[in-house]
Amino acid sequence: MSSKTPFVAFQGALNFRLRIVLATLSGKAVKIEKIRSNDLNPGLKDYEVSFLRLMESVTNGSVIEISYTGTTVIYRPGIIVGGSITHNCPPSKPVGYFVEPMLYLAPFSKKKFSIIFRGCTASHCDAGIEAIKWGLLPIMERFGVRECALHTLKRGSPPQGGGEVHLIVDSLIPQPVTMHNLNRLTISSIRGVAYSTRVSPSIVNRMIDSARKILKSANCEVNISADVWRGENSGKSPGWGITLVAADKKGWCVFSEEIGGAGDIPEDIGVKVAYHLLQEISISGAVCRNQLPLAIVYMIIGKEDIGRLRITKDQIDERFIHLLRDIKSIFGNEVYLKPVDEDDTGDLIAAVKGIGFTNTSKKIA
Amino acid sequence: LGGSINRRRKWDIGKLVYMENISPRDCLRRWKNEDSGENEQESDIEQEDEEEDFFKKKDESGPVTLDYEGDMEIFTPYFEKLEKLVQKWSSLDSIKDRFIGAPDLNETE
Repeated sequence: MSSKTPFVAFQGALNFRLRIVLATLSGKAVKIEKIRSNDLNPGLKDYEVSFLRLMESVTNGSVIEISYTGTTVIYRPGIIVGGSITHNCPPSKPVGYFVEPMLYLAPFSKKKFSIIFRGCTASHCDAGIEAIKWGLLPIMERFGVRECALHTLKRGSPPQGGGEVHLIVDSLIPQPVTMHNLNRLTISSIRGVAYSTRVSPSIVNRMIDSARKILKSANCEVNISADVWRGENSGKSPGWGITLVAADKKGWCVFSEEIGGAGDIPEDIGVKVAYHLLQEISISGAVCRNQLPLAIVYMIIGKEDIGRLRITKDQIDERFIHLLRDIKSIFGNEVYLKPVDEDDTGDLIAAVKGIGFTNTSKKIA
Repeated sequence: LGGSINRRRKWDIGKLVYMENISPRDCLRRWKNEDSGENEQESDIEQEDEEEDFFKKKDESGPVTLDYEGDMEIFTPYFEKLEKLVQKWSSLDSIKDRFIGAPDLNETE
């Protein structure tokens, strides 16, 4: 083992995907130690290994060393090549878990990304298909990644899965555009999708009705569509869920999502998601909490220019601090938080100087 | 006057974020002036109570999420209990300015 390349060392399983993704973007090797070392089941989980395999297949020259116990991983990134591949997701995590980190890498690849993910398409704590499609892809668009799409070929509810989605990112850009957004979101419309697989379509309508009832008082256009899947393409298990997206005229948005679990009542889920959406709107600056990591990372790897993004005090939570710290330890770049002068909302402006990253596989001029 | 008692260090969140020796949870506490065992500042008492509640709730949810409160591996962000949200959003007046839509027909009522 050559110890010439110094590692950026991390401890614990926290932010595992983000750290691997940041390492890939920066080209720096990382060493993650003590992964669940005090757990009854120590070391990497099957889905994390699966994620590392996915990273291996979208990059060229990556070296991954996993210790005997699985509690230490050394990852030396190669270059991002992309291409057409199929990834079978383990049943323990849905496709969203794997699609999400790909969004950070896809635009900076050598070849276009076209990945088919097979497995569950929803879970309680990971990104759903609609959340990615309506919530995260618009953020990428702001940074100049225009041609990206996520097609749902089959839906597959947990636990059995059987779904299939296709991620296509056609725009390959040298670096993200420097972005400024100093305004709070002003919601002009609320859209949504309620889906079901292998259950009665009435469940979908019940969710829609209850969510609409809550959002009626918001006094803006609410449009929730029903998406009922039947037969072959609806996977192996019954399931249902709803995603709501509140967007402004320029395409910035806030979203919330939830899926039904055992014993849940459709009305309750509809109501819950509607309230979550309102809460998220109330604490969002220019983007919502789920979009923040993607936006900040894109700003960090932007041109050597200062990008600005408005965030609220409520958005500074533990996740945000972890994010900034991880970014600093890999890129060495800090995010400056300065209060907004114009009004007394107490919001902050996150000013980020890009590191001047360039897509290594792009020809210059 | 009592000024010296209440004079508490104002933390700059921008610096606090990058102090590696302070855990993120403590960062937030210090920033929001939530050190326990000291008297509260006079202003915003209610609001701070609420925020402290907010944190206690988080801590109580420990058994399930363990120490992964700040973990971005979990996509869904933290939300308060539904009952609280229902109460909070029984009226949307506080975020009225965040929506633009059709002119308000109910306003005349």
